[in-house]
Order: sequence, then structure tokens, then C-alpha cells
Amino acid sequence: MRKLLRTSLRIAPVMLLLLFGGAMTCRAQSGKLQLDQLDVLTNRASNTVDVKLDEHLLLTTWKLFKDPDEVEIRDLLKNLKGIYVKSFSFEKENEYSPAEIDSVMVQLRGGGWSKIVGITSKKQSENVEVYLMMIADQISGLAVVCLNPKDVTVINIVGPINLEKLSQLEGSFGIPDLDLAKPKTKKDNDN
Amino acid sequence: MKSKLTLIGLLLALACGLPFSARANRDGFNDVVKTIEQFYHVKHKSIPFLARTGMKAMRTAAKIKGGEWKRLAEAGSVRIVFFEDQSFDSRGQIASFKSSVQKTLGAEWSTLVQTLSPKDEQQTHIFIREAGPKFHVLVIEIDRRDATVVQATLKPEVLAELLKDPGEMGKSITDEATTVDP
Repeated sequence: MRKLLRTSLRIAPVMLLLLFGGAMTCRAQSGKLQLDQLDVLTNRASNTVDVKLDEHLLLTTWKLFKDPDEVEIRDLLKNLKGIYVKSFSFEKENEYSPAEIDSVMVQLRGGGWSKIVGITSKKQSENVEVYLMMIADQISGLAVVCLNPKDVTVINIVGPINLEKLSQLEGSFGIPDLDLAKPKTKKDNDN
Repeated sequence: MKSKLTLIGLLLALACGLPFSARANRDGFNDVVKTIEQFYHVKHKSIPFLARTGMKAMRTAAKIKGGEWKRLAEAGSVRIVFFEDQSFDSRGQIASFKSSVQKTLGAEWSTLVQTLSPKDEQQTHIFIREAGPKFHVLVIEIDRRDATVVQATLKPEVLAELLKDPGEMGKSITDEATTVDP
């Protein structure tokens, strides 16, 4: 019994490390961004919107879109694993610092995300960056970061989605109208 | 050694079992009301008032989305609590209230949407949980002087319709649940 206990204690840290490491790898490769650190902006922002449609909710509700004009949305939602939107508006310009967005940008600069170049916003002074995560030639996530001096918006859609499909979701499910100019197809892998 | 192991086992079982039993007894609606009372030092309205408005809420909840969505109140389970003419001042800590509510509801409820306007002390929080084939939707609406907590049981198709515009969902549910029938 004592031997069993000793052996268990000896392998416990290794098992924990494996479990923890496995979980982190899964998250890094799932197309889901960790956005909670952006909450530091909440108290300063004049408006905050935080939308979460997780996999469970999407799995339960996609089949309920039965109208003929909802077929495309239904097919799209069917394969998605999450829609997450965080948006902060500020009264004055530059009330947030780029460093406060770093928690998200660091994830996008590594971990399998590729920036799509050539996408701009039709809105004045808005800087838009769109990122895709590819796993084995399949899109597993999309992220849109919209920054202007008074607004920060981060959209993260987990699952197979592209810009064309994203436009179908704009204005619904908490996704704002992005008003993106047509993208070029070239990818920027070196950011 | 054996008794030590038994003791460790017992403690582990207790440690694992307690949170589950505590969770089993938790009711998100009442817990959220308590969280609001503790955070803002306010009190919700008394039972006689609730009984009256509750009856109105039952009738008016059926009007949510109108027409075909009248099935909404079929289950007749709209719960509502009002806080009227009291001060909801988060003292710059609105984010802390947001996380308190999330913590209170735990993993059983999924956060759908939270909108906050600290300057006006306006907030809307919407949470969802499965209730058999239906869904419970918990809506917390707070502004500078008033607050409302509504829990409605929705059929999945009603939820799907409301999901298209999560931002408006809270307003629809709260407005309709608190509108007095003519």
C-alpha cells in the first residue's frame, strides 16, 4: 500500500504536467482566443459589450433556424464552435494603450494564426486586422481586431469560417457591421 | 498508515463532495438577487408588490415578440424581482460587479451577453442554462436608480430567434415582462 502511494506521488507531478500541457496545446490550436484580459478596460470604457455564444449553445440552437432564408446561417452555425465578441468604446481618444491589447495580439502573432493582408475598413481612422487559424488546410478560427482612437473591438469565431461567411453574420449574433473593404487573397505569414 | 489514508480519503471525498452539494442547492435567480443586494447595498421589493407584478408579468411575458412567440409564457415560469428608486453606484467598480455575477452563477449558466455603461451605471447581463428541452434565460437590467431581475423559461425556437440579436434580447424580455397590460 505504501509502495503504491509512493509511486502515485512520484508520477503525480508528471501526470499533472502532461494534462496541463495537453490542455494548453488544445487551446492554442483550437482557434479560440483568451479574451478575458481585455476586461481591464471595462471600468474606463464608456460602453462595453461582451458576447459569448459557446459551442454548447451553438450545438443546441443551430437546428432551430428553420426558415428557408436562414438555411445559410443554419449551415454556418452548424459547424461553428463559438462566437465571441468584446467591444469597448471610450469617450475620449487614446484612453487605452496598445499594451492593453497585447494579451490578444501576442496570441495572434503566434500559435498558428496568420494575418490576412490587404483588408481595410471603410470607416475612417479605423485599423482592422483579420487573422485566420489554419489546421491541416482547414480554417479553425477567425479573429478580427478593429482599433480606432475611441474603440476597441475583438471578434473571435471558432470553427470553419472565412470572410465571406463572416459577412453573413455581420449585424447578428452580437457581431457588429464591420464594413470591410474587399480582401486580397495573399497571406502574410511573417506578420 | 491505514487510518491516515482513510482520513485523507475522507477529507478528499468531503472536499470534492461539498462544492457539488452546495451547487445542487443553488438557485441562480435568488443568488443573483443576493449578489446585487450585497454589492450595491440595496433591497428588492417586498412580496405583496411582487405578487401583483408577478401576475402582470405572467400575462405580459406572453407578449414577448408577439404573435407566434406567445408560446413563450406557456410554462408560466417568469420570475421577476424589482429594485426601485435606490442608488446603484458601482463607485468605478462595475467590472468587479460583472465578475461577481459570473462567479455567483458558476458554470451552470452560460454568459450570453453583458453590456456595461459605467458612466450611466447602466448594465444588462444575460445568462442561459438548459432546463430540460427548454432554456432558462436570466436577465439582469440595472441603471442608476432601478434594477430588474427576470428569469424566463423559453422554448428553443424562441431562444433561437432572440439569439440573432443578443443585445436586444435583454431589453425585449425585461420590457415585456414588466409592461402592465392595458
